[in-house]
Amino acid sequence: MTDLPLSGVKVLDFTWVVAAPGASRVMADYGATVIRVETTKRIDTARTFGPFHTGEPGPEHSVLFQSMNAGKLGVTLDLSKPEARAVALDLVRWADIVMEAFSPGTVASFGLDYESLRKVKPDLIMLSTCIFGQSGPLSGFAGYGSLAAAISGFYFMTGWPDRPPAGPYNAYTDTVVPRFVLISLLAALDHRRRTGEGVYIDQSHIETALHFLAPAVLDYTVNGRGPVRMGNRHPQIAPHGVYPAAGDDRWVAIVCETDEQWRALCDVIGRPELADDDRFATNAARLAHQDELDAIISAWTAQRDPRDSEGLLQLRGVPASAVERGTDLWADLQLHHRGHFVRAPHATLGDILVEGTRFKLSRTPPRVARAGPTMGQDNQYVLAELLGYSEERIVELVAAGALE
Amino acid sequence: QIFGDLGADVIKIEPPGGSPARRIGPFAGDRADDPDASLYWWAYNRNKRGITLDVASAEGRALLLRLVERADFVIESDNPGAMAALGLGYDDLAAVNPGLIYVSITPFGQDGPKASYADSDLVILAASGFIALTGDDDRPPVRVTVPQAYLHASADGAAGALIALWERHRSGRGQQIDVSAQQSMNLATFCSSLVAALGMSENRRLSGGYKYGDYLLRQVFACKDGHVAITFLFGNAMGPFTRRLMEWVHDEGFCDDATRDIDWIGYGELLMHSKVPHDDFEGLKATLESFTRTKTKDELLHAALTKRLLVAPVATIDEVVANDQLAARDYWREIDGVRYPGPFVKFAPQPIEYARPAPRVGEHNREVYVDELGLSDAQFAELQAKGIV
Repeated sequence: MTDLPLSGVKVLDFTWVVAAPGASRVMADYGATVIRVETTKRIDTARTFGPFHTGEPGPEHSVLFQSMNAGKLGVTLDLSKPEARAVALDLVRWADIVMEAFSPGTVASFGLDYESLRKVKPDLIMLSTCIFGQSGPLSGFAGYGSLAAAISGFYFMTGWPDRPPAGPYNAYTDTVVPRFVLISLLAALDHRRRTGEGVYIDQSHIETALHFLAPAVLDYTVNGRGPVRMGNRHPQIAPHGVYPAAGDDRWVAIVCETDEQWRALCDVIGRPELADDDRFATNAARLAHQDELDAIISAWTAQRDPRDSEGLLQLRGVPASAVERGTDLWADLQLHHRGHFVRAPHATLGDILVEGTRFKLSRTPPRVARAGPTMGQDNQYVLAELLGYSEERIVELVAAGALE
Repeated sequence: QIFGDLGADVIKIEPPGGSPARRIGPFAGDRADDPDASLYWWAYNRNKRGITLDVASAEGRALLLRLVERADFVIESDNPGAMAALGLGYDDLAAVNPGLIYVSITPFGQDGPKASYADSDLVILAASGFIALTGDDDRPPVRVTVPQAYLHASADGAAGALIALWERHRSGRGQQIDVSAQQSMNLATFCSSLVAALGMSENRRLSGGYKYGDYLLRQVFACKDGHVAITFLFGNAMGPFTRRLMEWVHDEGFCDDATRDIDWIGYGELLMHSKVPHDDFEGLKATLESFTRTKTKDELLHAALTKRLLVAPVATIDEVVANDQLAARDYWREIDGVRYPGPFVKFAPQPIEYARPAPRVGEHNREVYVDELGLSDAQFAELQAKGIV
């Protein structure tokens, strides 16, 4: 078996939901051994979210959980029990990296904070992540990525000028943060390799996610101006919109960033005379006549399947895409070509679909060895094989309720 | 920029005259014609040096290869095949530097049926499935007003490059990282690409709300000075938060005892099985909003902390910049008197530093070409005269 890039890297993952498990998932794809610690006393919220295998909700049916945790070993520990905390300390001795996403202060109450753990393992890399970071007056704020998206500004600038903010779908910041959690951990591994030092990482979802609004922040700090909701319009570019298509709730996104693209669009929609029309000949003119412009484009798109509009416009180099819904994504040949859909074995459901890794390394491609673990699936393997516990000790842990 | 923040020596290479990204707004003082005024440029080119180079010319290509010899990473975002056509594809550069890690960020990936598609942020948001889920259900799908797709893709590219770097310590060899913005952005759909394969119905856009059976749960409510987001959900994990919220609503006289005392843990099951009259449910949302309208964002946020509620203000940018928590954590950084979002993460013992602002066009040409590559003043002047630098 070829070594994967992160083969030999050991990750102890106490996090949950999406923001940090999404990072350790990628590490597993690239060869790290990741132990995902859960408790049956408070199950991972991701296990309660659809979509669900078999269509039925259930903690072992969540595709979101399976996708976020593919390739990981599953261990259950009830950290309120001292016996479980002793196991956790042994796992820390095993690990290169410890990740946690409890409310700030929780790991200290378990004796598992960085100051305690570095005494056990001086070169430990530990990452703590939560909405607002480990310090400050709002560090105790509880919430999911949807609230983080509201409080960091994404909600206010998503939607229509004449409506309340719509906000981006679901827990948006939870999809920004995993990349940066991964970057932080990889940078810390490199720091440790060069210096021998451990690293402590305090990652606030909001502090990370604000980088995705940086131009808007600068518009305020430099120009004193806040962004506004403007639907799909763009302050500098027209056309720039999502247009109606034939069918129920079907849409196509179209953008012309250059006059050349605009002229091509005019040809495609059978209105070549518009290319030289004073109202539309230049981008500045198009920006000044957006309502008319959008009406003309809509009249054409509304007659067609959005994928036909996409194809006709793309043939002429005009940026366009059908607004893909779930069914379209599953039919998207590009995503299939990319290996976006992967089948991997699950303990009870057989080979199931999970999403693939989003980027490819050409010489050492990712590998999804298994779907996400069932709760406690690997307790025996981890305790007996990785930690070398005796059968007697494992029985005692079970009896003490430590493995729940 | 992520590498620059992490302490790497990053050289941004632009065509003579400057990168097209310098024409992306907003602009400092609305100076749209000033190549050094793009705030988009400022936002994503901090901690880099900047040089200009016509890489399509033979002399320009030769200079680039000299830089590549000393580089760990090359990051490019040209159309698939465009760099190879210039003799600057991965294979070309790996021949010069076998350890090179070559990151390619494209709309749809290096190959496949859509690889040559023309793109734009909005087009990627559509192709990724993200905007199908965003917006009001009686309007078109809607974007985030600030471009997003390439930020997801770039961060994936940085992560992939660091994985390849770790591998290189063992093998001594580099490789190419192939990032598709469509696929990166798709993470923000929370696995909606799998619903059809599982025979489940698709999620639809619900103004940031949730669908429980036939009922639409809103997430955004009006408050005294704007809007507030409330995670108004049920079950063992969320129900207790909702119960505490409704106790507060009751304490302030906005609902009766019976409403307060609803089993908020089991309420979701009632909704799933259509056992709540729709009028009652609509009335409940109206009650909640009549309550939130009497509170400011600040009051609601502080109640979220003290009463343990899942409530957060829908903050405007000025409110974000004034946020007490960010100030208390010393988040913001200033470069040349301009305030930027601070480090994406707090590292100890070695924190991220903001050493320099985004470069002006060709700002470090002399430093790189003369001081570091050792060109003579005459050679440098000749390159400038030819428009290569």
